[in-house]
Amino acid sequence: MAPASGGPPVLEVRGLSKRYKPRKRGSPTTLANDGLNLSVGRGEIVALLGPNGAGKTTLLRQIAGQLLPDGGTIRIAGVDMIARPLAAKERLSVIPQECASSESLTVRETVLLFGRIKGLERKTATQRTQEILVEVGLQDESEKLVRELSGGLKRRVLIAVAMSAPAAELLLLDEPTTGLDPEARRSVWRVILGLKRRGLSILLTTHYIEEAEYLADRVVVVTHGRFVVHGRVEEIRAGLPYQGRLEVRALDRLSPEARRRVDALGQRWKEALRSDSYVRFEIPDPFSRETVSELGELTSLGVRASLSPVSLEDAYLAVVGAVEE
Amino acid sequence: MNGSALRTAYQTYDALEMAMRATLREIGVLLAFVIIFPLGFLFFLGQIATPSLRAQVLVGSVMMEMALLNINVVAQGIGQDKLSKLYDLWVSFPISPVVYVASLALSVLPFSLGSALLTLAAGAVYFHLNLIPLLLPLLLGLLLVWASTIGIGFLIGVYGRSPRAINSNAQFVGIVMTFFAPIFYPVSVLPLPLQYVAYAWPLTWGSSLLVSIIQGAANQVLLASLALGAYAALWLVLIGTGLRWRQV
Repeated sequence: MAPASGGPPVLEVRGLSKRYKPRKRGSPTTLANDGLNLSVGRGEIVALLGPNGAGKTTLLRQIAGQLLPDGGTIRIAGVDMIARPLAAKERLSVIPQECASSESLTVRETVLLFGRIKGLERKTATQRTQEILVEVGLQDESEKLVRELSGGLKRRVLIAVAMSAPAAELLLLDEPTTGLDPEARRSVWRVILGLKRRGLSILLTTHYIEEAEYLADRVVVVTHGRFVVHGRVEEIRAGLPYQGRLEVRALDRLSPEARRRVDALGQRWKEALRSDSYVRFEIPDPFSRETVSELGELTSLGVRASLSPVSLEDAYLAVVGAVEE
Repeated sequence: MNGSALRTAYQTYDALEMAMRATLREIGVLLAFVIIFPLGFLFFLGQIATPSLRAQVLVGSVMMEMALLNINVVAQGIGQDKLSKLYDLWVSFPISPVVYVASLALSVLPFSLGSALLTLAAGAVYFHLNLIPLLLPLLLGLLLVWASTIGIGFLIGVYGRSPRAINSNAQFVGIVMTFFAPIFYPVSVLPLPLQYVAYAWPLTWGSSLLVSIIQGAANQVLLASLALGAYAALWLVLIGTGLRWRQV
């Protein structure tokens, strides 16, 4: 999978594979990933989507140098992670899944000391720390202990630590907003987009489809250790056999005539989801005259119906569902 | 010193500063207790030991502190970092594993050394020993004991499957090495086959070194120093080559 932008990729993964050895002798090995190829270009954000256990975190741990692959190559800004891990690690920053920072240090101490350990020049470390704190919006919290911060602010501390690596070109984020409230999630998104604008390349995993849709230039869907779909969000959406959905709410409160009308839609369009009060149909073309006219007639019967184009979530569920079947 | 070694030294200093600040804020009060803890063993065993065994009792009390604390702090520090995923963060840094492990071990060294010196001072008064001329060799001996036990905590920490298992293993190994290794009694009281087993433990050599310094047995001091130095070098190589640092 080549990056959208030109120039040499910041991350290049070729034929990566990993099998976990069994804990008990005689048990089968577990395939974590199998022959993966992936490139991330400069200033590009790529999101890895997939169900739990799909192999997303394993891939990130291999790229981060935390887990040795069985086969394949990983190059960070041209440096081989397997052969020269220290040099490759200088070019990347990582935020592991649900990682906590040192809770007993202040925000400033955390960024300053981790920055120095990661190679920030001692003379410039204090100034650079201050710049980073402003950049991620932590300047007012800088003298607080990390343990006193909310979950969203703690995530920002980790991002600040990641930014303190002086030569980093690639940022790996494993589920960066898991467990955060919607407001905190959006504030982390803003910081991530700021890093992209600075030219940092970002590979992230997430379970939030809207996060991938909002942040990513390209999306890769992973299941059972293999990439099943990859491309730009609009390309993935366009790959679906239907391009829109018609949703009807308050189904249980419809008049008998309106209910018959809604039920009859199932003969024309595929019913994707139904409950006592809700039904969703897959529509080939949500903006055709016929569809819009149908929506108008439903509305005139008092039906609470709406039309929308397919989302990345539709595409994701279709792809993962097909693989699981 | 080449550039790489200098960089490792700087990184270790920075990591140590971080670990010290965190340690003092998290368990500062507890460390005060840690410092006086060995005195209980010294006074209790001093009451029941024969005069010929008093140097051994004094060394045993000091060794217990140096070894137990060192093994536990390194192993449990790794366990705690694994729990909070900070361990993964450290592994992804462009640093040698030596930086990480040394910072953990060094963060409590001032307290274990302080405890050892306090225990030696108390023992000198209690047992009427003149240890002042031996202070420097004893201090160097204590540092060798410290360096020779770092790797035990590292092995327990990196190979432990869960923080709970790491904590249990560290305490188990610490207690076994403290009470079953001949540190409160001379190795010569063991049956011959067990003496060979005992010499596989660095604590046996550590105890032998400190007792020999107090008793002025120069040959034994040299032999034990070499053995402890070999252990320290072995750990340095094993840790530095990334034994289980990057998981397979």
